[in-house]
Amino acid sequence: MQMKTTTLINMTILAGIFFFGISSNTYAKLNVVATTADFGAIARDIGGDLVAISVLAKPTEDPHFVDAKPSYISKLARADVLIEGGAELETGWLPPLIDGSRNTKIESGKPGHVMCAEGLALLEVPTTLDRSQGDIHAMGNPHFMTDPLNARYAAQRITAALGAADTQNSILYQKNLAAFLQRLDMKLPEWKKQMEPFQGRRVVAYHNSWPYFANRFGVKIDLFLEPKPGIPPTPAHLAEVMTTMKTENIRVIIIEPYENRKTAEAVSAKTGASLVNFSQYPGGIKGTDSYIELIDTLVNSLVTALKTGGTSKE
Amino acid sequence: MSEAFQIMMWPLLACLLLPGLLVYLGLHIVRREIIFVDLALAQVAALGICMAILLGHDAHDWQTTAWSGGFTFVGAALLTLTRPSGKRVPQEALIGIVYVVAAAASFLLLSRSPEGNEELRRTLVGEILLVQPGEVLRTFAMFTAIGIVHLIFRRKFWLLSFAPEQGKSEGIRLWLWDFLFYVLFGIAVTSFVRMGGVLLVFSYLIIPAVCANIFATTMRARLAVGWIVATLASVAGLYASYRLDLPTGAAIVCALGLALLLTSSVRIFHNSK
Repeated sequence: MQMKTTTLINMTILAGIFFFGISSNTYAKLNVVATTADFGAIARDIGGDLVAISVLAKPTEDPHFVDAKPSYISKLARADVLIEGGAELETGWLPPLIDGSRNTKIESGKPGHVMCAEGLALLEVPTTLDRSQGDIHAMGNPHFMTDPLNARYAAQRITAALGAADTQNSILYQKNLAAFLQRLDMKLPEWKKQMEPFQGRRVVAYHNSWPYFANRFGVKIDLFLEPKPGIPPTPAHLAEVMTTMKTENIRVIIIEPYENRKTAEAVSAKTGASLVNFSQYPGGIKGTDSYIELIDTLVNSLVTALKTGGTSKE
Repeated sequence: MSEAFQIMMWPLLACLLLPGLLVYLGLHIVRREIIFVDLALAQVAALGICMAILLGHDAHDWQTTAWSGGFTFVGAALLTLTRPSGKRVPQEALIGIVYVVAAAASFLLLSRSPEGNEELRRTLVGEILLVQPGEVLRTFAMFTAIGIVHLIFRRKFWLLSFAPEQGKSEGIRLWLWDFLFYVLFGIAVTSFVRMGGVLLVFSYLIIPAVCANIFATTMRARLAVGWIVATLASVAGLYASYRLDLPTGAAIVCALGLALLLTSSVRIFHNSK
Protein backbone atom coordinates (compact mmCIF):
# COMPACT_ATOMS: atom_id res chain seq x y z
CA MET A 1 0.00 0.00 0.00
CA GLN A 2 3.01 2.27 0.45
CA MET A 3 3.45 2.66 -3.26
CA LYS A 4 -0.14 3.69 -3.62
CA THR A 5 0.33 6.50 -1.14
CA THR A 6 3.34 7.87 -2.99
CA THR A 7 1.47 7.66 -6.27
CA LEU A 8 -1.31 9.58 -4.63
CA ILE A 9 1.09 12.27 -3.48
CA ASN A 10 2.64 12.48 -6.93
CA MET A 11 -0.75 12.85 -8.50
CA THR A 12 -1.63 15.60 -6.06
CA ILE A 13 1.54 17.46 -6.96
CA LEU A 14 0.73 17.07 -10.64
CA ALA A 15 -2.73 18.42 -9.98
CA GLY A 16 -1.19 21.36 -8.13
CA ILE A 17 1.06 22.24 -11.04
CA PHE A 18 -1.92 21.84 -13.30
CA PHE A 19 -3.90 24.41 -11.42
CA PHE A 20 -1.18 27.00 -11.17
CA GLY A 21 0.31 26.33 -14.56
CA ILE A 22 3.35 27.89 -16.04
CA SER A 23 2.98 30.52 -18.67
CA SER A 24 6.25 31.91 -19.91
CA ASN A 25 5.85 34.07 -22.91
CA THR A 26 7.46 37.07 -24.52
CA TYR A 27 5.21 39.90 -25.49
CA ALA A 28 7.83 41.71 -27.52
CA LYS A 29 6.48 40.59 -30.89
CA LEU A 30 2.99 40.97 -32.24
CA ASN A 31 1.28 37.59 -31.83
CA VAL A 32 -0.53 36.60 -35.00
CA VAL A 33 -2.57 33.42 -35.39
CA ALA A 34 -3.68 32.22 -38.81
CA THR A 35 -6.18 29.40 -39.29
CA THR A 36 -4.50 28.08 -42.43
CA ALA A 37 -0.99 28.20 -43.88
CA ASP A 38 -1.87 30.46 -46.82
CA PHE A 39 -2.78 33.35 -44.51
CA GLY A 40 0.17 32.46 -42.29
CA ALA A 41 2.62 32.67 -45.18
CA ILE A 42 1.29 36.05 -46.33
CA ALA A 43 1.32 37.40 -42.77
CA ARG A 44 4.98 36.33 -42.59
CA ASP A 45 5.72 38.28 -45.77
CA ILE A 46 4.00 41.37 -44.35
CA GLY A 47 5.09 41.12 -40.72
CA GLY A 48 8.64 39.85 -41.15
CA ASP A 49 10.56 39.79 -37.86
CA LEU A 50 8.06 42.02 -36.11
CA VAL A 51 5.45 39.31 -35.70
CA ALA A 52 5.34 35.82 -34.22
CA ILE A 53 3.06 33.70 -36.38
CA SER A 54 1.29 30.48 -35.46
CA VAL A 55 -0.78 28.53 -37.95
CA LEU A 56 -3.49 26.25 -36.52
CA ALA A 57 -4.31 23.80 -39.33
CA LYS A 58 -1.36 21.86 -40.72
CA PRO A 59 -0.89 22.52 -44.44
CA THR A 60 -1.59 18.84 -45.10
CA GLU A 61 -4.76 18.80 -42.99
CA ASP A 62 -8.30 19.23 -44.32
CA PRO A 63 -9.27 22.74 -43.17
CA HIS A 64 -12.92 21.67 -42.92
CA PHE A 65 -11.97 19.34 -40.06
CA VAL A 66 -9.27 20.34 -37.61
CA ASP A 67 -8.69 18.51 -34.33
CA ALA A 68 -8.51 20.89 -31.39
CA LYS A 69 -5.52 20.72 -29.07
CA PRO A 70 -4.93 22.75 -25.88
CA SER A 71 -2.13 24.73 -27.52
CA TYR A 72 -4.60 26.12 -30.06
CA ILE A 73 -6.53 27.76 -27.26
CA SER A 74 -3.41 29.13 -25.57
CA LYS A 75 -2.18 30.49 -28.91
CA LEU A 76 -5.52 32.20 -29.40
CA ALA A 77 -5.49 33.47 -25.82
CA ARG A 78 -2.22 35.26 -26.53
CA ALA A 79 -3.11 36.44 -30.04
CA ASP A 80 -3.17 40.11 -30.95
CA VAL A 81 -4.50 39.33 -34.41
CA LEU A 82 -6.43 36.33 -35.73
CA ILE A 83 -6.61 35.77 -39.49
CA GLU A 84 -9.22 33.43 -40.93
CA GLY A 85 -10.80 32.91 -44.33
CA GLY A 86 -14.24 33.42 -42.92
CA ALA A 87 -16.44 31.93 -45.64
CA GLU A 88 -17.55 29.08 -43.38
CA LEU A 89 -14.39 27.05 -44.02
CA GLU A 90 -13.40 27.10 -40.33
CA THR A 91 -16.93 27.20 -38.98
CA GLY A 92 -16.84 23.65 -37.61
CA TRP A 93 -13.93 24.17 -35.24
CA LEU A 94 -12.82 27.78 -34.84
CA PRO A 95 -15.73 29.42 -32.91
CA PRO A 96 -15.50 27.15 -29.84
CA LEU A 97 -11.72 27.67 -29.77
CA ILE A 98 -12.20 31.46 -29.78
CA ASP A 99 -14.80 31.12 -27.01
CA GLY A 100 -12.38 28.98 -25.04
CA SER A 101 -9.54 31.48 -25.40
CA ARG A 102 -11.61 34.28 -23.81
CA ASN A 103 -9.53 36.79 -25.73
CA THR A 104 -11.69 39.82 -26.41
CA LYS A 105 -9.19 41.19 -28.96
CA ILE A 106 -10.00 38.44 -31.46
CA GLU A 107 -13.73 38.16 -30.94
CA SER A 108 -15.75 38.19 -34.11
CA GLY A 109 -16.28 41.77 -35.26
CA LYS A 110 -13.25 43.19 -33.44
CA PRO A 111 -10.41 44.74 -35.48
CA GLY A 112 -8.09 41.97 -34.28
CA HIS A 113 -10.22 39.37 -36.06
CA VAL A 114 -9.60 39.47 -39.81
CA MET A 115 -11.99 37.67 -42.11
CA CYS A 116 -10.25 37.71 -45.46
CA ALA A 117 -13.35 36.76 -47.45
CA GLU A 118 -15.21 39.81 -46.21
CA GLY A 119 -15.79 42.14 -49.16
CA LEU A 120 -14.83 39.55 -51.77
CA ALA A 121 -17.31 38.39 -54.39
CA LEU A 122 -17.25 34.64 -53.81
CA LEU A 123 -18.10 32.10 -56.47
CA GLU A 124 -20.85 29.49 -56.32
CA VAL A 125 -23.09 31.24 -53.79
CA PRO A 126 -26.05 28.86 -53.58
CA THR A 127 -29.44 30.20 -54.56
CA THR A 128 -31.20 27.77 -52.26
CA LEU A 129 -29.85 26.15 -49.15
CA ASP A 130 -30.36 22.47 -49.65
CA ARG A 131 -28.44 19.73 -47.91
CA SER A 132 -29.01 17.37 -50.82
CA GLN A 133 -26.34 19.34 -52.69
CA GLY A 134 -23.59 18.13 -50.38
CA ASP A 135 -21.52 20.18 -47.96
CA ILE A 136 -23.23 23.52 -48.05
CA HIS A 137 -21.39 26.80 -47.88
CA ALA A 138 -24.06 29.47 -47.72
CA MET A 139 -21.55 32.24 -48.41
CA GLY A 140 -20.07 30.60 -51.50
CA ASN A 141 -17.02 28.47 -52.23
CA PRO A 142 -14.51 29.18 -49.41
CA HIS A 143 -11.34 28.16 -51.29
CA PHE A 144 -10.82 31.67 -52.65
CA MET A 145 -7.10 32.04 -51.93
CA THR A 146 -6.13 29.99 -55.00
CA ASP A 147 -6.76 33.13 -57.08
CA PRO A 148 -3.71 35.44 -56.71
CA LEU A 149 -5.96 38.49 -56.99
CA ASN A 150 -7.88 37.34 -53.92
CA ALA A 151 -4.55 36.78 -52.16
CA ARG A 152 -3.70 40.35 -53.10
CA TYR A 153 -6.87 41.53 -51.35
CA ALA A 154 -6.21 39.31 -48.32
CA ALA A 155 -2.69 40.74 -48.01
CA GLN A 156 -4.14 44.26 -47.86
CA ARG A 157 -6.63 43.23 -45.18
CA ILE A 158 -3.89 41.54 -43.16
CA THR A 159 -1.62 44.61 -43.46
CA ALA A 160 -4.40 46.87 -42.21
CA ALA A 161 -5.03 44.62 -39.20
CA LEU A 162 -1.32 44.34 -38.30
CA GLY A 163 -0.95 48.11 -38.62
CA ALA A 164 -3.96 48.72 -36.40
CA ALA A 165 -2.69 46.36 -33.71
CA ASP A 166 0.86 47.72 -33.86
CA THR A 167 0.61 51.36 -34.97
CA GLN A 168 4.32 52.04 -34.33
CA ASN A 169 5.32 49.71 -37.15
CA SER A 170 2.45 50.27 -39.54
CA ILE A 171 4.68 52.03 -42.06
CA LEU A 172 7.00 49.03 -42.13
CA TYR A 173 4.05 46.71 -42.74
CA GLN A 174 2.95 48.97 -45.60
CA LYS A 175 6.44 48.74 -47.08
CA ASN A 176 6.45 44.96 -46.88
CA LEU A 177 3.00 44.86 -48.44
CA ALA A 178 4.21 46.98 -51.35
CA ALA A 179 7.11 44.59 -51.90
CA PHE A 180 4.82 41.56 -51.75
CA LEU A 181 2.32 43.06 -54.16
CA GLN A 182 5.10 44.02 -56.53
CA ARG A 183 6.39 40.44 -56.63
CA LEU A 184 2.86 39.10 -57.04
CA ASP A 185 2.00 41.57 -59.81
CA MET A 186 5.18 40.63 -61.60
CA LYS A 187 4.49 36.90 -61.37
CA LEU A 188 0.81 36.95 -62.33
CA PRO A 189 1.33 37.80 -66.03
CA GLU A 190 4.09 35.16 -66.19
CA TRP A 191 1.77 32.50 -64.80
CA LYS A 192 -0.98 33.54 -67.19
CA LYS A 193 1.43 33.33 -70.09
CA GLN A 194 2.49 29.83 -69.06
CA MET A 195 -1.15 28.75 -68.93
CA GLU A 196 -2.01 30.51 -72.20
CA PRO A 197 -1.73 27.42 -74.46
CA PHE A 198 -4.15 25.44 -72.30
CA GLN A 199 -7.15 27.76 -72.26
CA GLY A 200 -10.43 25.92 -71.86
CA ARG A 201 -8.77 22.58 -71.04
CA ARG A 202 -10.64 20.43 -68.54
CA VAL A 203 -8.98 19.01 -65.43
CA VAL A 204 -10.36 16.57 -62.86
CA ALA A 205 -10.13 17.32 -59.12
CA TYR A 206 -11.09 15.28 -56.06
CA HIS A 207 -12.95 18.07 -54.25
CA ASN A 208 -14.34 21.34 -55.59
CA SER A 209 -11.55 23.54 -54.18
CA TRP A 210 -10.25 25.08 -57.40
CA PRO A 211 -12.90 27.25 -59.12
CA TYR A 212 -10.96 30.46 -58.35
CA PHE A 213 -7.68 29.09 -59.69
CA ALA A 214 -9.48 27.75 -62.78
CA ASN A 215 -11.18 31.10 -63.42
CA ARG A 216 -7.98 33.07 -63.14
CA PHE A 217 -5.94 30.83 -65.42
CA GLY A 218 -8.58 29.89 -67.96
CA VAL A 219 -8.84 26.16 -67.34
CA LYS A 220 -11.95 24.24 -66.35
CA ILE A 221 -11.71 22.28 -63.09
CA ASP A 222 -15.33 21.20 -62.90
CA LEU A 223 -15.24 17.41 -62.85
CA PHE A 224 -14.87 15.88 -59.38
CA LEU A 225 -14.22 12.42 -58.00
CA GLU A 226 -16.60 13.24 -55.15
CA PRO A 227 -20.21 12.92 -56.35
CA LYS A 228 -21.12 15.90 -54.15
CA PRO A 229 -18.80 18.02 -52.00
CA GLY A 230 -17.90 16.09 -48.85
CA ILE A 231 -19.41 12.80 -50.01
CA PRO A 232 -16.93 9.99 -50.69
CA PRO A 233 -16.71 8.69 -54.28
CA THR A 234 -19.20 5.99 -55.25
CA PRO A 235 -18.53 3.34 -57.92
CA ALA A 236 -21.28 4.60 -60.25
CA HIS A 237 -20.06 8.18 -60.06
CA LEU A 238 -16.44 7.19 -60.71
CA ALA A 239 -17.51 5.18 -63.77
CA GLU A 240 -19.32 8.24 -65.07
CA VAL A 241 -16.27 10.45 -64.47
CA MET A 242 -14.01 7.97 -66.26
CA THR A 243 -16.35 7.83 -69.26
CA THR A 244 -16.33 11.63 -69.48
CA MET A 245 -12.54 11.64 -69.15
CA LYS A 246 -12.20 9.19 -72.04
CA THR A 247 -14.69 10.84 -74.38
CA GLU A 248 -13.29 14.32 -73.76
CA ASN A 249 -9.69 13.15 -73.54
CA ILE A 250 -9.12 14.68 -70.09
CA ARG A 251 -5.60 13.78 -69.08
CA VAL A 252 -4.95 15.37 -65.69
CA ILE A 253 -6.24 14.70 -62.18
CA ILE A 254 -5.19 17.00 -59.34
CA ILE A 255 -5.07 15.69 -55.78
CA GLU A 256 -4.48 17.36 -52.41
CA PRO A 257 -2.57 15.81 -49.48
CA TYR A 258 -5.61 15.00 -47.32
CA GLU A 259 -7.74 13.57 -50.10
CA ASN A 260 -8.07 9.86 -50.78
CA ARG A 261 -5.12 9.19 -53.03
CA LYS A 262 -6.07 5.56 -53.67
CA THR A 263 -9.26 6.57 -55.47
CA ALA A 264 -7.39 9.05 -57.63
CA GLU A 265 -4.67 6.48 -58.37
CA ALA A 266 -7.26 3.92 -59.45
CA VAL A 267 -8.91 6.42 -61.80
CA SER A 268 -5.52 7.49 -63.12
CA ALA A 269 -4.51 3.86 -63.75
CA LYS A 270 -7.73 3.12 -65.62
CA THR A 271 -7.74 6.26 -67.76
CA GLY A 272 -4.02 6.84 -68.23
CA ALA A 273 -4.40 10.38 -66.90
CA SER A 274 -1.51 11.79 -64.91
CA LEU A 275 -1.87 12.52 -61.21
CA VAL A 276 -0.63 15.97 -60.12
CA ASN A 277 0.02 16.93 -56.50
CA PHE A 278 -1.81 20.11 -55.66
CA SER A 279 -2.23 21.97 -52.42
CA GLN A 280 -4.02 25.15 -51.43
CA TYR A 281 -1.52 25.71 -48.65
CA PRO A 282 2.16 26.65 -48.67
CA GLY A 283 3.99 23.70 -47.12
CA GLY A 284 1.40 21.25 -48.48
CA ILE A 285 3.87 20.50 -51.26
CA LYS A 286 7.61 20.32 -50.60
CA GLY A 287 9.57 23.46 -51.34
CA THR A 288 6.64 25.84 -51.13
CA ASP A 289 7.14 28.05 -48.12
CA SER A 290 5.60 31.24 -49.43
CA TYR A 291 2.36 31.90 -51.24
CA ILE A 292 4.12 32.93 -54.42
CA GLU A 293 6.30 29.79 -54.42
CA LEU A 294 3.15 27.73 -54.01
CA ILE A 295 1.30 29.21 -56.99
CA ASP A 296 4.52 29.01 -58.98
CA THR A 297 4.79 25.28 -58.23
CA LEU A 298 1.11 24.68 -59.00
CA VAL A 299 1.29 26.43 -62.35
CA ASN A 300 4.54 24.70 -63.32
CA SER A 301 3.38 21.19 -62.45
CA LEU A 302 -0.03 21.71 -64.08
CA VAL A 303 1.61 23.02 -67.26
CA THR A 304 3.99 20.04 -67.35
CA ALA A 305 1.12 17.59 -66.88
CA LEU A 306 -1.07 19.25 -69.49
CA LYS A 307 1.81 19.25 -71.99
CA THR A 308 2.79 15.63 -71.60
CA GLY A 309 -0.64 14.22 -70.77
CA GLY A 310 -2.45 16.03 -73.56
CA THR A 311 -0.55 14.71 -76.55
CA SER A 312 -1.47 11.03 -76.48
CA LYS A 313 -4.92 10.48 -77.87
CA GLU A 314 -6.62 7.12 -77.72
CA MET B 1 -6.31 32.73 -12.86
CA SER B 2 -3.56 30.94 -14.70
CA GLU B 3 -3.81 30.16 -18.36
CA ALA B 4 -3.82 26.41 -17.84
CA PHE B 5 -6.77 26.64 -15.52
CA GLN B 6 -8.59 29.00 -17.83
CA ILE B 7 -8.24 26.66 -20.80
CA MET B 8 -8.84 23.41 -18.96
CA MET B 9 -11.46 24.47 -16.43
CA TRP B 10 -14.57 23.15 -18.17
CA PRO B 11 -12.99 19.94 -19.42
CA LEU B 12 -11.69 19.44 -15.86
CA LEU B 13 -15.12 20.03 -14.35
CA ALA B 14 -16.68 17.67 -16.89
CA CYS B 15 -14.13 15.00 -16.01
CA LEU B 16 -14.59 15.45 -12.28
CA LEU B 17 -18.39 15.72 -12.12
CA LEU B 18 -19.58 13.31 -14.76
CA PRO B 19 -17.59 10.08 -14.38
CA GLY B 20 -19.10 9.56 -10.91
CA LEU B 21 -22.21 8.00 -12.39
CA LEU B 22 -20.28 6.26 -15.16
CA VAL B 23 -18.03 4.49 -12.67
CA TYR B 24 -21.07 3.24 -10.78
CA LEU B 25 -22.77 2.01 -13.97
CA GLY B 26 -19.46 0.46 -14.99
CA LEU B 27 -19.51 -1.76 -11.88
CA HIS B 28 -22.85 -3.17 -13.08
CA ILE B 29 -21.61 -3.60 -16.64
CA VAL B 30 -18.41 -5.38 -15.65
CA ARG B 31 -20.32 -7.64 -13.28
CA ARG B 32 -22.83 -8.60 -15.96
CA GLU B 33 -20.03 -9.22 -18.44
CA ILE B 34 -21.62 -7.04 -21.09
CA ILE B 35 -18.56 -4.86 -21.57
CA PHE B 36 -19.38 -3.64 -25.06
CA VAL B 37 -22.97 -2.68 -24.38
CA ASP B 38 -21.97 0.99 -24.15
CA LEU B 39 -20.39 0.91 -27.59
CA ALA B 40 -23.51 -0.73 -28.99
CA LEU B 41 -25.90 1.77 -27.41
CA ALA B 42 -23.71 4.73 -28.38
CA GLN B 43 -23.64 3.49 -31.95
CA VAL B 44 -27.41 3.01 -32.00
CA ALA B 45 -27.82 6.59 -30.73
CA ALA B 46 -25.42 7.82 -33.42
CA LEU B 47 -27.55 6.02 -35.98
CA GLY B 48 -30.50 8.05 -34.72
CA ILE B 49 -28.48 11.24 -35.16
CA CYS B 50 -27.58 10.26 -38.73
CA MET B 51 -31.24 9.55 -39.43
CA ALA B 52 -32.29 12.98 -38.13
CA ILE B 53 -29.59 14.74 -40.16
CA LEU B 54 -30.64 12.87 -43.27
CA LEU B 55 -34.20 14.11 -42.69
CA GLY B 56 -32.83 17.66 -42.74
CA HIS B 57 -32.59 18.48 -39.04
CA ASP B 58 -29.57 20.23 -37.60
CA ALA B 59 -27.29 18.33 -35.22
CA HIS B 60 -28.44 20.59 -32.37
CA ASP B 61 -32.20 20.57 -33.10
CA TRP B 62 -34.52 18.98 -30.58
CA GLN B 63 -35.72 16.58 -33.28
CA THR B 64 -32.19 15.19 -33.49
CA THR B 65 -32.14 14.57 -29.76
CA ALA B 66 -35.57 12.95 -30.07
CA TRP B 67 -34.42 10.63 -32.87
CA SER B 68 -31.29 9.71 -30.99
CA GLY B 69 -33.32 9.11 -27.82
CA GLY B 70 -35.87 7.02 -29.71
CA PHE B 71 -33.19 4.85 -31.21
CA THR B 72 -31.59 4.43 -27.77
CA PHE B 73 -34.99 3.29 -26.47
CA VAL B 74 -35.26 0.68 -29.21
CA GLY B 75 -31.68 -0.38 -28.52
CA ALA B 76 -32.50 -0.77 -24.82
CA ALA B 77 -35.53 -2.91 -25.70
CA LEU B 78 -33.40 -5.10 -27.94
CA LEU B 79 -30.82 -5.58 -25.20
CA THR B 80 -33.54 -6.44 -22.67
CA LEU B 81 -34.83 -9.14 -24.99
CA THR B 82 -31.36 -10.59 -25.35
CA ARG B 83 -30.79 -11.21 -21.64
CA PRO B 84 -29.32 -14.71 -21.72
CA SER B 85 -31.80 -17.43 -20.93
CA GLY B 86 -29.47 -20.27 -21.75
CA LYS B 87 -25.82 -20.51 -22.58
CA ARG B 88 -26.28 -21.29 -26.27
CA VAL B 89 -25.94 -17.72 -27.52
CA PRO B 90 -23.84 -15.48 -25.28
CA GLN B 91 -25.32 -12.00 -24.89
CA GLU B 92 -21.97 -10.45 -25.79
CA ALA B 93 -22.32 -11.86 -29.30
CA LEU B 94 -25.70 -10.19 -29.73
CA ILE B 95 -24.32 -6.92 -28.36
CA GLY B 96 -21.53 -7.13 -30.91
CA ILE B 97 -24.05 -7.68 -33.67
CA VAL B 98 -26.11 -4.66 -32.58
CA TYR B 99 -22.93 -2.57 -32.66
CA VAL B 100 -21.74 -3.71 -36.06
CA VAL B 101 -25.12 -3.45 -37.76
CA ALA B 102 -25.78 0.01 -36.28
CA ALA B 103 -22.32 1.17 -37.43
CA ALA B 104 -22.85 -0.20 -40.94
CA ALA B 105 -26.31 1.37 -41.15
CA SER B 106 -24.83 4.73 -40.11
CA PHE B 107 -22.33 4.43 -42.95
CA LEU B 108 -25.14 3.74 -45.39
CA LEU B 109 -27.07 6.78 -44.17
CA LEU B 110 -24.12 9.15 -44.11
CA SER B 111 -23.10 8.18 -47.63
CA ARG B 112 -26.13 10.34 -48.51
CA SER B 113 -25.36 13.14 -46.09
CA PRO B 114 -22.08 15.05 -45.88
CA GLU B 115 -23.01 16.64 -42.58
CA GLY B 116 -23.52 13.20 -41.05
CA ASN B 117 -19.90 12.38 -41.72
CA GLU B 118 -18.67 15.19 -39.53
CA GLU B 119 -21.26 14.42 -36.87
CA LEU B 120 -20.37 10.73 -36.73
CA ARG B 121 -16.69 11.51 -36.47
CA ARG B 122 -17.47 13.82 -33.59
CA THR B 123 -19.45 11.03 -31.93
CA LEU B 124 -16.45 8.73 -32.05
CA VAL B 125 -13.69 11.14 -31.10
CA GLY B 126 -15.61 13.71 -29.06
CA GLU B 127 -14.46 17.18 -28.14
CA ILE B 128 -13.94 17.15 -24.42
CA LEU B 129 -11.51 20.08 -24.75
CA LEU B 130 -14.22 22.30 -26.22
CA VAL B 131 -17.14 21.42 -23.92
CA GLN B 132 -19.49 24.29 -23.33
CA PRO B 133 -20.33 25.24 -19.72
CA GLY B 134 -24.07 24.82 -20.40
CA GLU B 135 -23.51 21.35 -21.77
CA VAL B 136 -21.55 20.26 -18.70
CA LEU B 137 -24.15 21.62 -16.29
CA ARG B 138 -27.11 20.16 -18.22
CA THR B 139 -25.48 16.75 -18.39
CA PHE B 140 -24.56 16.93 -14.72
CA ALA B 141 -28.20 17.65 -13.84
CA MET B 142 -29.31 14.69 -15.93
CA PHE B 143 -26.68 12.44 -14.37
CA THR B 144 -27.81 13.51 -10.92
CA ALA B 145 -31.40 12.58 -11.79
CA ILE B 146 -30.33 9.17 -13.08
CA GLY B 147 -28.17 8.74 -9.99
CA ILE B 148 -31.15 9.46 -7.74
CA VAL B 149 -33.29 6.85 -9.50
CA HIS B 150 -30.48 4.35 -9.00
CA LEU B 151 -30.12 5.39 -5.37
CA ILE B 152 -33.82 4.90 -4.64
CA PHE B 153 -34.00 1.51 -6.31
CA ARG B 154 -30.44 0.49 -5.52
CA ARG B 155 -31.42 -2.87 -4.06
CA LYS B 156 -33.42 -3.88 -7.15
CA PHE B 157 -30.63 -2.83 -9.50
CA TRP B 158 -28.10 -4.59 -7.32
CA LEU B 159 -30.07 -7.84 -7.41
CA LEU B 160 -30.43 -7.45 -11.16
CA SER B 161 -26.70 -7.45 -11.81
CA PHE B 162 -25.20 -9.24 -8.84
CA ALA B 163 -27.78 -11.85 -7.82
CA PRO B 164 -30.43 -12.29 -10.52
CA GLU B 165 -31.44 -15.72 -9.18
CA GLN B 166 -32.22 -14.29 -5.77
CA GLY B 167 -34.13 -11.47 -7.45
CA LYS B 168 -36.22 -13.97 -9.36
CA SER B 169 -37.05 -15.90 -6.21
CA GLU B 170 -38.11 -12.65 -4.53
CA GLY B 171 -40.57 -12.08 -7.35
CA ILE B 172 -38.94 -9.07 -9.01
CA ARG B 173 -39.89 -8.57 -12.65
CA LEU B 174 -36.37 -8.74 -14.00
CA TRP B 175 -37.22 -7.70 -17.56
CA LEU B 176 -38.84 -4.47 -16.41
CA TRP B 177 -35.87 -3.43 -14.28
CA ASP B 178 -33.54 -4.58 -17.01
CA PHE B 179 -35.30 -2.32 -19.49
CA LEU B 180 -35.18 0.62 -17.08
CA PHE B 181 -31.49 -0.04 -16.46
CA TYR B 182 -30.70 0.01 -20.18
CA VAL B 183 -32.78 3.12 -20.86
CA LEU B 184 -31.06 5.09 -18.06
CA PHE B 185 -27.72 3.67 -19.11
CA GLY B 186 -28.35 4.60 -22.73
CA ILE B 187 -29.28 8.18 -21.82
CA ALA B 188 -26.17 8.57 -19.66
CA VAL B 189 -23.84 7.08 -22.25
CA THR B 190 -25.18 8.95 -25.26
CA SER B 191 -25.14 12.32 -23.53
CA PHE B 192 -21.55 11.82 -22.43
CA VAL B 193 -20.57 10.46 -25.84
CA ARG B 194 -21.56 13.78 -27.42
CA MET B 195 -18.97 15.46 -25.22
CA GLY B 196 -16.19 12.99 -24.78
CA GLY B 197 -16.60 10.45 -27.54
CA VAL B 198 -16.95 6.69 -27.48
CA LEU B 199 -13.38 5.92 -26.42
CA LEU B 200 -13.60 8.10 -23.34
CA VAL B 201 -17.02 6.88 -22.22
CA PHE B 202 -15.90 3.28 -22.58
CA SER B 203 -12.77 3.95 -20.51
CA TYR B 204 -14.66 5.75 -17.73
CA LEU B 205 -17.14 2.89 -17.51
CA ILE B 206 -14.79 -0.05 -17.57
CA ILE B 207 -11.31 0.87 -16.29
CA PRO B 208 -12.20 2.29 -12.84
CA ALA B 209 -14.61 -0.63 -12.34
CA VAL B 210 -11.88 -3.14 -13.15
CA CYS B 211 -9.43 -1.36 -10.81
CA ALA B 212 -12.10 -1.45 -8.12
CA ASN B 213 -12.64 -5.18 -8.57
CA ILE B 214 -8.92 -5.73 -8.09
CA PHE B 215 -8.92 -3.99 -4.72
CA ALA B 216 -12.30 -4.20 -3.08
CA THR B 217 -15.18 -6.56 -2.55
CA THR B 218 -18.06 -4.51 -1.16
CA MET B 219 -20.03 -2.19 -3.42
CA ARG B 220 -19.16 0.82 -1.28
CA ALA B 221 -15.42 0.17 -1.30
CA ARG B 222 -15.48 -0.51 -5.04
CA LEU B 223 -17.23 2.78 -5.67
CA ALA B 224 -14.65 4.60 -3.57
CA VAL B 225 -11.71 3.00 -5.38
CA GLY B 226 -13.35 3.58 -8.78
CA TRP B 227 -14.01 7.24 -8.07
CA ILE B 228 -10.47 7.84 -6.81
CA VAL B 229 -8.98 6.16 -9.89
CA ALA B 230 -11.26 8.11 -12.26
CA THR B 231 -10.49 11.43 -10.58
CA LEU B 232 -6.71 10.98 -10.43
CA ALA B 233 -6.51 9.70 -13.99
CA SER B 234 -8.69 12.59 -15.25
CA VAL B 235 -6.47 15.18 -13.62
CA ALA B 236 -3.28 13.48 -14.82
CA GLY B 237 -4.65 13.08 -18.36
CA LEU B 238 -5.79 16.69 -18.59
CA TYR B 239 -2.49 17.87 -17.20
CA ALA B 240 -0.52 15.82 -19.73
CA SER B 241 -2.77 17.04 -22.51
CA TYR B 242 -2.06 20.64 -21.56
CA ARG B 243 1.67 20.38 -20.95
CA LEU B 244 2.51 18.09 -23.87
CA ASP B 245 -0.21 19.45 -26.19
CA LEU B 246 -1.93 16.14 -26.81
CA PRO B 247 -5.51 15.46 -27.93
CA THR B 248 -7.38 15.66 -24.63
CA GLY B 249 -9.74 12.67 -24.80
CA ALA B 250 -7.01 10.26 -25.87
CA ALA B 251 -4.68 11.53 -23.13
CA ILE B 252 -7.29 10.78 -20.45
CA VAL B 253 -7.92 7.31 -21.89
CA CYS B 254 -4.19 6.55 -21.71
CA ALA B 255 -3.99 7.94 -18.17
CA LEU B 256 -6.79 5.56 -17.17
CA GLY B 257 -4.93 2.69 -18.81
CA LEU B 258 -1.83 3.65 -16.86
CA ALA B 259 -3.90 3.76 -13.66
CA LEU B 260 -4.98 0.16 -14.24
CA LEU B 261 -1.37 -0.84 -14.81
CA LEU B 262 -0.37 0.89 -11.55
CA THR B 263 -3.17 -0.61 -9.45
CA SER B 264 -2.56 -4.12 -10.74
CA SER B 265 1.17 -3.88 -10.07
CA VAL B 266 0.46 -2.56 -6.59
CA ARG B 267 -1.82 -5.56 -6.08
CA ILE B 268 0.81 -8.02 -7.29
CA PHE B 269 3.46 -6.34 -5.16
CA HIS B 270 1.12 -6.43 -2.19
CA ASN B 271 0.27 -10.11 -2.69
CA SER B 272 3.85 -11.25 -3.05
CA LYS B 273 4.80 -9.78 0.32
